[in-house]
Amino acid sequence: MKDFVSGIKIETLGNTYYFLTEPKSMTTKYEIMVIIKSDLDEPSAKKHFADHVGGFIKNAGGKVTFEDFWGSRGFAYMIKKYKWGYYGVFQFDMDPAKAVELRRELRLDNNVLRFLMIKVDKNAGEPRKYADMKKEYDALEKDLEKDATPVVEAPSREKLTTVKKAEPKKEEAPKDALDKKLDAVIDDASVDL
Amino acid sequence: MPPRPKKYICPFTKSGIKYIDYKDPKTLAMYITYYRSIQSRFHTGVSLKMQKQLARGIKRARQMALLPAVRYEKG
Repeated sequence: MKDFVSGIKIETLGNTYYFLTEPKSMTTKYEIMVIIKSDLDEPSAKKHFADHVGGFIKNAGGKVTFEDFWGSRGFAYMIKKYKWGYYGVFQFDMDPAKAVELRRELRLDNNVLRFLMIKVDKNAGEPRKYADMKKEYDALEKDLEKDATPVVEAPSREKLTTVKKAEPKKEEAPKDALDKKLDAVIDDASVDL
Repeated sequence: MPPRPKKYICPFTKSGIKYIDYKDPKTLAMYITYYRSIQSRFHTGVSLKMQKQLARGIKRARQMALLPAVRYEKG
């Protein structure tokens, strides 16, 4: 242990143990996504998200690094008979011991329908705003619509009936001609059959 | 002997994606089946490393009602 600078060294039964007294950082990076009930208006939901949920984080000693209010969005399935709600995302640095308090406070909040609290992954890049993501997808969808081939209209019933009537007449005419030719060939005495 | 399946290239490593976000339900929706279950790696060609992330992302999105868990919902 060359890098060992400060801490406690314990030697027991031939083994040596090192305990660091002062760890480098006590905070971890968290991310929460909150669904607020659709009983509230959009401005009041935004205010509740920024003041109450953000206030919980600040009271618990968290440092907010990213904040994004998505606005209203429909659910993929019903949650407690609610069909849609307001989404919001926070990213913050916090002491893991205090994260338990935050989780408890969010659970007791009546206006919060559901929330998800995760540790931010190492490989996760900078968080993106929902509005920017939505713009990109809308642009992609427009491009796809342009590339799509125009829909060919199916022929109407009247056209189909007229075609059917016309076809047999055309077929009859060459048959008669062929029969006449055959008769001429059979009648012809010069040809040996 | 049946013919060996075609060797696929992972679509995520091909485009240089290292982390699959649960907040992006449109890309996640490409990797679920008609009945909304997670599509197997055999069919999509996703690498094992990214399949684990993808499964985690889909499960998180399901928790937050960004993606459905089943095709038909009661009511």
